[in-house]
Amino acid sequence: MDFSLGSFADLFAHAFSLWWIIIPAIFVGIIAGAVPGFAAHNTIIILLPLTLAFNVEVALTFMVALYCASHLGGGIPAILVNIPGTGGAAATTLDGYQMTKKGLAVRALAVSFVASVLGGLISSLITLVALPALSQVGYYVHSVEMVVIMLFGLALIASIAAKDMLKGLIAGVLGLLLGAMGADHIYATPRGTFGILELFDGIPLVPALIGLFAVSEALVMLEEKSIVEGGTANVGKVTWGETFHEIFGAFRHWWNITWTSILGLLIGVLPGAGASIAAFVAYQQTQFFSKHPERFGTGIPEGVSAPESANNGVTTGTLVPLLAIGVPGGSTAAVMMIVLQFHGVPFGPRLFVEQPQLAYGVIVSMAVSYILMIFTIFPMVKYMSRITVISTLYLAPFICAFTLVGAFVPRGFLFDIGIALAFGVLGFVARKTGYHVAAILIGVILGPLIEKSFLLAMRISGNDPMVMFSSTIGNILWVMLVATLVLPYVFKWRRERRAGLEHDRLVESEG
Amino acid sequence: MTEATNRKKAIGADLIIPLAGAAYAVYYVWSVRDFPIEAQMSGMILAGMLLFLVLLYLVRIGVGLAAGRYGMGLGDFLGPKETRVSRGLFFVLVLASVYAIGHFGFTLTTFGFLALSFVVLGIRPVGRAILVAAIAALVGWLFFVVLLGTRFPMGPFEQLMQAVF
Repeated sequence: MDFSLGSFADLFAHAFSLWWIIIPAIFVGIIAGAVPGFAAHNTIIILLPLTLAFNVEVALTFMVALYCASHLGGGIPAILVNIPGTGGAAATTLDGYQMTKKGLAVRALAVSFVASVLGGLISSLITLVALPALSQVGYYVHSVEMVVIMLFGLALIASIAAKDMLKGLIAGVLGLLLGAMGADHIYATPRGTFGILELFDGIPLVPALIGLFAVSEALVMLEEKSIVEGGTANVGKVTWGETFHEIFGAFRHWWNITWTSILGLLIGVLPGAGASIAAFVAYQQTQFFSKHPERFGTGIPEGVSAPESANNGVTTGTLVPLLAIGVPGGSTAAVMMIVLQFHGVPFGPRLFVEQPQLAYGVIVSMAVSYILMIFTIFPMVKYMSRITVISTLYLAPFICAFTLVGAFVPRGFLFDIGIALAFGVLGFVARKTGYHVAAILIGVILGPLIEKSFLLAMRISGNDPMVMFSSTIGNILWVMLVATLVLPYVFKWRRERRAGLEHDRLVESEG
Repeated sequence: MTEATNRKKAIGADLIIPLAGAAYAVYYVWSVRDFPIEAQMSGMILAGMLLFLVLLYLVRIGVGLAAGRYGMGLGDFLGPKETRVSRGLFFVLVLASVYAIGHFGFTLTTFGFLALSFVVLGIRPVGRAILVAAIAALVGWLFFVVLLGTRFPMGPFEQLMQAVF
């Protein structure tokens, strides 16, 4: 079917007419994203009976709006209390929480919301135009490339998140090893589980996230009376005028938002790569091209806009493989696939031939959801930032009480609350000693994925390790990986050498 | 304490994660010792990588210790002295709540944990601490259990409410 401008206009008009389902989905999605343990796919699963009762268009629109809003919601606790609501918001904590500590929570939230909405909108509009071309990307990435992409992502995170790269790498590889716990992919025999039955399926991700970020943060938080440095006296009441000033000011980062959202879209198209890698890659790239890279991590808006726009760029990206080749790009896409299956909707190329209005309609719904978020989310900046004036004596117990129990939700095992607590202790030690918790978490997430791709590549090649260097794309990625590990040391050495020469020159001129 | 000792960076706590990680890597390798080589491979590579990185780190620490840059103290690992007891008790309450939630369910455990935590951490008057804890536990029950239908651990309160409504 040939899609004209008129067809797109019809799709947009139709999507706007579904505002009554989009707006409630946005609010549910924000809560799902903001509360660790209530990821979008979990919430959609809880609401599955509702989505199955709707007709397929309404059901898809509901799920898509909820999904987009959850990616935005994940950044809110990351900024306000240093706890990412979703793994994709882990990179947002780096500068977002630093801004909050400086008393700039309103600005951080404004930048986060503008970056999320603009990033999501731009990537969905690009997807709309480039869907046929984007769907080809997945064909070029095989198991070898996936292994290198994931190692590359982990190396980036290790070099960004921890101030000391060696500590970052130790944290990341420890995370990978913990992620590889449980039954192996070939013989299903348990490894490294201490004989505990509940660990045979591996480390569950939600308890790990809750422990590493929420519990550890609550324990560290209690060392001070207030989140904000210097006490709550530094946080004045914010007027509507100031709120909108910050929101309009955030649009100054439009260029950074645009290209990092495209980066997020491209990474999102790769099945399994995910929002967490995209956010860290965007953060690292923004820092790399910045005129003041040394200020990243101290609380600057670019450090919030880059990961948030990439994180939301991923939302559209993960739907591309589902729509184009029938392979879900992430867990939420997998749940959407089940709903599509229930309604008897075909996937892949057949979807574009038989029901193109539905295929393109999903992306249009996404764009419309982001547009409607402008009116529903932006005014909330003023009120959300007030959370920073709550004393940590109240916040820490609240965080522990309401997040720890979230660890129970996915599998219904009380044991998982214990896992969250164990990861909380690990996270506390990591925070206090400079091993960044984000590196451990991303390792835990990537551990099983990297192992699966590695074993697949090895099986296909007849256990020849040289298969890891057999593809051009893979080799380019290897070079980038090595550069990521080596270049920071080279730059540091050059900076120190330059500073030394400058010092000698000054001494000489004074002498 | 001398000035030289003050300048030394305390790295005792920094060793917890590498040493615990190395111990787990060794255990992991031991746990796959009887597996076919194909199933051992990925775990061996990861454990090997971790042990190599930890070795590098220990060499760095050893050089720093020999040069007098590092000391084996804990530094500010445990945070300010004046709040250590209350924070320690708070952690004990967290442990106790993890144990209790299976028996008392979400709402009662949340109420008990919050009320005791507020009191232990120094929130006064006690009446206000208990009131805030009760409101929070009830709002949590209404929102998560009643409204969203979340599968939180059930206890006497949830069962009573289920029987009444």
